[in-house]
Amino acid sequence: MNNRWLPWILLAPALILILALTIYPLFNTVYLSFRQYDMYSLMTGVSTWVGLSNYTETLTDPFFWTVTRNTVVFGMACVFGTMIAGLLVALLLNTKFKGSKILGIVILIPWVFPAVAGGIVWRWMFNDQYGVANYLLTQIGLTRFDGFAWFNSPWTAFTVIFFMIVWQSFPFIAVSLLAGFQTIPDTLYEAAEIDGANAWHKVTKITLPMLKPLLLILFILSTIWDFKIFDQIYVMTEGGPARGTYVLALYSWSEAFNSLNFGMASAIAMLMFVLLMFFIVIYIYFLREEKGGKRA
Amino acid sequence: MKRKTTFQKVLIYLAAIFVFVVSMFPFWWMVISSLKPTSEIFSSVPTFWPHDITFQHYYNIFVRANFWVYFTNSLMVAGTVTVLGTGIAALAGYAIGRFNIKGKNAILLMILSVQMFPLVVMIIPLFIVMSRLGLVNSLVGLVIVYLTFALPFCIWMMRSYFASIPVEIEEAAMIDGCTRMQAFRKVIFPLAWPGVSATSIFAFITAWNEFVFAVTFIQDDSLRTLPLALQQFFSRFTADFGGLMAASTIATIPVLLFFIFFQRKMTKGLVQGSVNT
Repeated sequence: MNNRWLPWILLAPALILILALTIYPLFNTVYLSFRQYDMYSLMTGVSTWVGLSNYTETLTDPFFWTVTRNTVVFGMACVFGTMIAGLLVALLLNTKFKGSKILGIVILIPWVFPAVAGGIVWRWMFNDQYGVANYLLTQIGLTRFDGFAWFNSPWTAFTVIFFMIVWQSFPFIAVSLLAGFQTIPDTLYEAAEIDGANAWHKVTKITLPMLKPLLLILFILSTIWDFKIFDQIYVMTEGGPARGTYVLALYSWSEAFNSLNFGMASAIAMLMFVLLMFFIVIYIYFLREEKGGKRA
Repeated sequence: MKRKTTFQKVLIYLAAIFVFVVSMFPFWWMVISSLKPTSEIFSSVPTFWPHDITFQHYYNIFVRANFWVYFTNSLMVAGTVTVLGTGIAALAGYAIGRFNIKGKNAILLMILSVQMFPLVVMIIPLFIVMSRLGLVNSLVGLVIVYLTFALPFCIWMMRSYFASIPVEIEEAAMIDGCTRMQAFRKVIFPLAWPGVSATSIFAFITAWNEFVFAVTFIQDDSLRTLPLALQQFFSRFTADFGGLMAASTIATIPVLLFFIFFQRKMTKGLVQGSVNT
C-alpha cells in the first residue's frame, strides 16, 4: 500500500458519507426551493421550475412572519436562558465545595435524556389536572394555577417548552465554561484581590473578558440548536394550539411531510438558514472585533 | 485561597441543592410515576414517594404494546451506528491528526461546518434520495443517516485524541518492525482507547435519542425505534400516564447507564472536542 494514498483511503468512508448525505442534500435544498416538487414528483422524479415563486409566496404569507417572529423570540429567549443558567452553574461548580464533583455529573442527566421522553415527562408534570407543577404552585399560594391548562395558549405552552429547553441544554454550556475557567491562571485573580476587587469585579473584569471567544462559540452553537428545535415542540404540542407554537423547523417539516409540498418546504428551510446565518455573522463580527482589539 | 465565610458556604450549598433538585426532578418524577398504581397517579394530591410500588405498567407495555420490538430496533440501530461510526471516525481522525494531506484545513472546515449546520434543513432532499434508493421505511436507512450526522463530531473528537499522543510512540513501533497500519492497530489505537470510548458513547446517545429522521422515514409499526414508538404511544394513549412513564423510563435507562459508566471519559472527550478546536 502506497503511503501517499493511505490517508485518503482512511478518510474515504467518512468523506463519502459526509459528501453524499450532507453536502449534496445541502445543495439539493437550494435546487428544490426553485421547483414545484410534490408527491407526484417524488414518485416520478418529474418536477417543474417555478423560479422564485416559492419564495414570493412564502414571504407574502403573514403566517410565515408570525412563525419567524416565534422562532426568533423563542430561540433567542432559549439561547439567553441557557447561557445564563449555564454560566451561573459553571460559576457555582467552580467554587469547589464538598460534592461539587457529584453535582457536575448529576447536571448532565438532563442532557442525555432523550428529547421525546423529556417532552412526555414535562408534559405530565404540567398536566392541568394531575400535574405536579400546578400542585406545587397552588401549595405556595398561587391559587390561580389550580387546574391551569398550560397548553391551551401559545404563550404559556412556549413558557413550558422554554423551561424544558433550558433544562436540557444548560449542562453542555456549564461543562464547557467550567473547562474554560480552568484555563484562566489563578495569579490574575490573586493580583485583582490585592487591588481590592470583589467577587463581582473578578467575574466581570477577568472571567468574562478572558472567556469571550469561548462564550461566542457557545452562543453560536446554542443559536443553531435552539433555532432548529423540533422534537420537543412536536412531542409536547404538535405545534398547537391552532399552529400557535409553530417555529420555522416545524413549519418547514410540516409543509413537506403533511402538505407534501417539498418545493415550498425547501424555500422555508432556506429562509430559515439565511436567518440563522444572519445571527451567526453578528456573533462572528463580535469575535473578530475582540481579536482585533487584543492586537492593538 | 481565602476561606469562605459561613454565610457564603450556606449560600453555595443552597444553590447546589437547588441545581441538584432541578436537574434530577423530572427523571425521578418519571421513575416514581411509572411505579405508582394508576389510582395513585391520578390522585388530586401527588405523592412524592410511591405508597404501593407496582410493576404493572412495565408488564403492560411489554405485553400489550410490543415494546420489545421497538427496544430491539433501537438497540440494533444505535449499536450499528456506534460500531461503524467509531471505526470510521477513528480512521478519519487518525488520517487528519497524523498525515500532512493537501487540503487538510478545507476538510476540517467542511467537517466543522457540517457539524454546525441545522440538519432539519436537509431532511427533504435526504428523504427524496433515500426514497429513490428504497431506504425509506428501513432500519438500514436510519443507520446510514444517523451515521452521517454523528460522524463530524466523532471525527473531531478522535482527531484531538490522536493529536494528544506523541508521534515518537509510533515511530518507535515502526523502527521495531511494525508497518504503519500495524503501529496504528497495536500501539496507537489502544492508547487512544479513552477517546474511542468517549466517541462511541456520543455516537450511541445520538442514535438512541434521535427522533426527527425516525418520524420522517419510518412508517411500519414493526420498524419503529423507541423515541418514535414513545411519541406515537403518547399521542394515542394520553390517559395512560403510568404506561407512558414506564415507556419513557425504558427509553432513558440505557443511555443513562451507558453515561454513568463512562461519564468521566465522555465529558473529557466532549470538552476536548468542542472547546480545544
